[in-house]
Amino acid sequence: MARIDVLMPQMGESIAEGTLSKWLKKLGDEVKRDEPLFEISTDKVDAEIPAPAAGKLVEIKVQEGQTVPVQTLVAVLETDKNAAVSAPTAPKAEPAPKPATPKPEPPKATASAPAPVAPVVTTARPPDRPTAQVGKGGDGGVETAEERLRRKSTPLVRKIAAEHQVDISTIPGTGFAGRVTKNDILGFIERAPVGVTPTPGTRQPAPGAVVHPTVEAWPGDRVEPMSKIRKITADHMIQSRRTSAHVTSFFEVDYSRVAELRAKHKASYAERGANLTYLAFIAKVCAEQLRAHAVVNAAVSGDTIIYRRDINIGIAVALEWGLIVPVIKHADELSLMGLTRAINDLGERARTKKLSPDEIQRGTFTITNPGVFGSYAGAPIINQPQVAILGVGTIEKRPKVITLPDRTDTIAVRVMGMISMSYDHRVVDGADADRFLADVKKTLQEFPEGAV
Amino acid sequence: MAEITYLEAIRQGLWEEMERDERVFILGEDVGAYGGAFKVTDGFLKRFGESRVIDTPISEAAIVGAAAGAAHMGLRPVAEMQFIDFISCAYDMLTNYVATARYRAGLATPIVVRGPCGGFVRGGPFHSQNPEAAFFHTPGLKIVAPATARDAKGLIKAAIRDDDPVLYLEHKWLYRRIKESLPEGEEILTPIGRARVAREGRDLSIVTYGAMVWKSLEAAEQLDKDGVSVEVLDLRTLLPLDDAAIVATVKKTNKLLIVHEDTRTGGLAGEIAARINEQAFEWLDGPIMRVTAHDVPLPYAPTLEDFVLPQTEDVVKAARWLAAY
Amino acid sequence: MTSRIVPATQPGHPAIPAEVERSQLLEIYYYLRLTRTLEERLTALYRQTKVIGGLFRSLGQEGESVASAYALERGRHRDLLSPLIRNLGSMLVMGATPLQILRQYMAKVEGPTRGRELNIHFNDLELGYVGQISHLGDMIPVMAGITLTFKLRREPRVGLVYIGDGGTSTGTFHEGLNFAAVQRCPLVVIGEYNHWAYSTPPAKQFAVTHLAEKAQGYGIPTVTVDGNDVLAVYAAAKHAVERARRGKGVHFIEVKTYRRKGHAEHDDQHYVPEDELERWAKENDPIDRYAKQLIENEWVEAAELTAMDQRIRDEVDRATDACVDEPLPAPETALGGVYADPADTEKLWFRLL
Repeated sequence: MARIDVLMPQMGESIAEGTLSKWLKKLGDEVKRDEPLFEISTDKVDAEIPAPAAGKLVEIKVQEGQTVPVQTLVAVLETDKNAAVSAPTAPKAEPAPKPATPKPEPPKATASAPAPVAPVVTTARPPDRPTAQVGKGGDGGVETAEERLRRKSTPLVRKIAAEHQVDISTIPGTGFAGRVTKNDILGFIERAPVGVTPTPGTRQPAPGAVVHPTVEAWPGDRVEPMSKIRKITADHMIQSRRTSAHVTSFFEVDYSRVAELRAKHKASYAERGANLTYLAFIAKVCAEQLRAHAVVNAAVSGDTIIYRRDINIGIAVALEWGLIVPVIKHADELSLMGLTRAINDLGERARTKKLSPDEIQRGTFTITNPGVFGSYAGAPIINQPQVAILGVGTIEKRPKVITLPDRTDTIAVRVMGMISMSYDHRVVDGADADRFLADVKKTLQEFPEGAV
Repeated sequence: MAEITYLEAIRQGLWEEMERDERVFILGEDVGAYGGAFKVTDGFLKRFGESRVIDTPISEAAIVGAAAGAAHMGLRPVAEMQFIDFISCAYDMLTNYVATARYRAGLATPIVVRGPCGGFVRGGPFHSQNPEAAFFHTPGLKIVAPATARDAKGLIKAAIRDDDPVLYLEHKWLYRRIKESLPEGEEILTPIGRARVAREGRDLSIVTYGAMVWKSLEAAEQLDKDGVSVEVLDLRTLLPLDDAAIVATVKKTNKLLIVHEDTRTGGLAGEIAARINEQAFEWLDGPIMRVTAHDVPLPYAPTLEDFVLPQTEDVVKAARWLAAY
Repeated sequence: MTSRIVPATQPGHPAIPAEVERSQLLEIYYYLRLTRTLEERLTALYRQTKVIGGLFRSLGQEGESVASAYALERGRHRDLLSPLIRNLGSMLVMGATPLQILRQYMAKVEGPTRGRELNIHFNDLELGYVGQISHLGDMIPVMAGITLTFKLRREPRVGLVYIGDGGTSTGTFHEGLNFAAVQRCPLVVIGEYNHWAYSTPPAKQFAVTHLAEKAQGYGIPTVTVDGNDVLAVYAAAKHAVERARRGKGVHFIEVKTYRRKGHAEHDDQHYVPEDELERWAKENDPIDRYAKQLIENEWVEAAELTAMDQRIRDEVDRATDACVDEPLPAPETALGGVYADPADTEKLWFRLL
């Protein structure tokens, strides 16, 4: 038994579909080879379609009046011959050439007939492995195409690099062969402390490449190359240390009121799909206070200070594969609910790698929260080109001396935690930082219920 | 608004122009009683009569030459090549006579030479050609290649009204595959010389025309799922090229993939690449790449034709490669 | 006007026409019937989507195709012809096989062009046929060059080329014919007046009455014959071929016949006047007329023809079975053979990703 497919034919070069106008055979009918099976009608012509082989009509797939694309399966015949079922000549079903079978060979075309052809060997390679040596590097050594590409990159990247006085070779590249792409250099400039809107004469020299000293590996050690995100973080941290004059201040905060508000409203937030955390309160307060303390929401560019108009707060998220800082744009315009949602959402999408490049750029201030791991307080490194980063220590019940209304002192159980802030002393003085932190502390301790 | 095919759009455009302007007439092989090999002029003989729908002998050189003569005298002839593959028989008339007439002799030659081009239909080497490159090199001609039903109608009308000779390349694979609702009662005119952004994107631009617009849009759709945002520019007019639109899309996305169904060597992609090199080099964030047919005559067997011609999958792969560059 | 009508062979009790033996009469019948049976099979295969490109029938024109080719000397490196899409019969006469034709139409890997070309566009220069391209008229100058070579090499070989009534409107036809006439090439041109060029009737194609008049304008002797009278076409062709072989130059034979199917299978022939197809089928089918002539003249028995019809059906069935399931060519073979050197065209970069 063999099954043979009957297809809707293409009756003319432009014909895309045909209508089955009439069945001439019924299901189960025996048909002879080339005996008409059904009639079709196309934009050009009507025709009877003959059976490709003798057999029985066992399946009808297209009914009278139905219009289907050419090459659609219309019917199936079952034959009793054991011959192989012919493959349709549609492009999708292309069999590989069989080995030549000893058959009576027809006279082969000669002279002008196309010669038998072997599978092709010559190819035009895509330029995916530019390994050819293309010139000498400045140090007199031979530069490979990859090295050249790494150093020079594309016309656009070179243009951007020239405008911003950036040495392309210092930028981590994510393109092929480590090439610096447009997004790489734009991201770099975004973060870098140099030449955002440079003016002649005030440009800083481009930052030197970050070189991490090599260390001897001992027998049994495991040596792994850094992942891209690890490498970026490593370079970035060193560069930040090199660039900014880091100072850190520590403040203790009484979160008891926040804890109360949180306990009171957590359920209603949860009902609306938001997880109300301490971090949301802290972000809310920072966003408000940054407006009043512009120097903390700033950047240093050459000999100028850029006071940011927007308040875009980055929230550091620790992932298994590294650290990422999604940014809440215009954080000062969001309600506590809005911030809660933004923190939840960005955190979730950071974990599922669904952040767009845009969502990790243009931060103006960063909050990091190592307290969730139990840390009492830390001295974080500034996220360049910002000038301050707030660290949140663990929040827990601690004994605290408080003064009662009758002016007697007593020890009470309070919800306490440390906040610390590293700031760039080039532009932020201790007094600026501490005033900001004092205001943050005060606002947290007196958080207005109406804002929840 | 009823849906009409790309073929019907051409037909409507021709019809409207013949109704509007009695100087317009059609000549070609089997255009009258038969209504054209693909039925583009079906019904025209009955409506407009034998003096405006002229069945000619199999003589492409004479068809184009006679059209030129009539155009000199103030008529607006539309000459049909039964398959555009036969336009090569009129190459002499078009390149030596028609294209030079205005420049050397001050003779207006407002003719339209139209015909079905393109592959994907198992037409073999002589019913599948894309001849644009042969004429692209000839100053004095204009070349249009619509991809949508709207432009099929808008460009045939614009071509007829244009005061210079226009080659109108209609893709036979699109004839009955493309269906579109066009507004009734509104006159559709597509300006010659202006490209169209068929899809907006951020990461790279595909510049293309004809049937490959649809293959490129399919590819863009697939790439979108991978997070690669592709802009597709439908050239619509091949000569003169819309430099401004091509440069604008390159400046936007910084990466350019040129896709055409014609063979690679000497194809339009080379010229487009050169212009970007001249006008927007500093905006390139990757090499300009081409997806084209292989440099062989188009074979008949489906397996061979599919191999030689650029497919959606090729555009996907090429674009993905370029996006990651 | 130098044309003359070759008188149809007389019924009654005539002798077999000169230079034709009884076995040859049967052989001619074989090729006529084979042409028709094979094309019927191709039509079925087309409607079964096995043949994907166009399908072009020669129904009603088999007589002139077979009879004209039959006048040539056949064998390796003998006479050579160039057929059109409706001259399948002439190719079969020269030695093309049903298996080759079927494979070619179905784009099979084992086909003569390995899937590159359609229908009967293929060559065998040894057996003596060179396929046309779709651009009509181009084969006239090409055959002028082929037969010029016969002349230059002083080989006693003759070329034969077909042109349709529509094809005589092309520039290449006129240039080629004039060239061959000036060079006195040993070339026989068969002008097929089959009444339809796609949908265009003779009155819209040319202003002469007979195609022969066009050739006369180039100083070429002509003859106009009933194209559906097999032996009349044979006699005219035989005369022209021998004349060309003797170094007398080009000869033009106009055959009046009728295309009974559409231009291709997708053409519904709505432009054909009513009853015309039926009339030609009933009254003037070349195979029916020839068979009747053979039987009425008692040159062959009716049973011999019936038996041959069956043998041909079996032959076509066998050829179909032998190749219908064969594979199409492997995709990458598309890149070979554009040039002698380099042998392969390069594969483009995006196919290597």
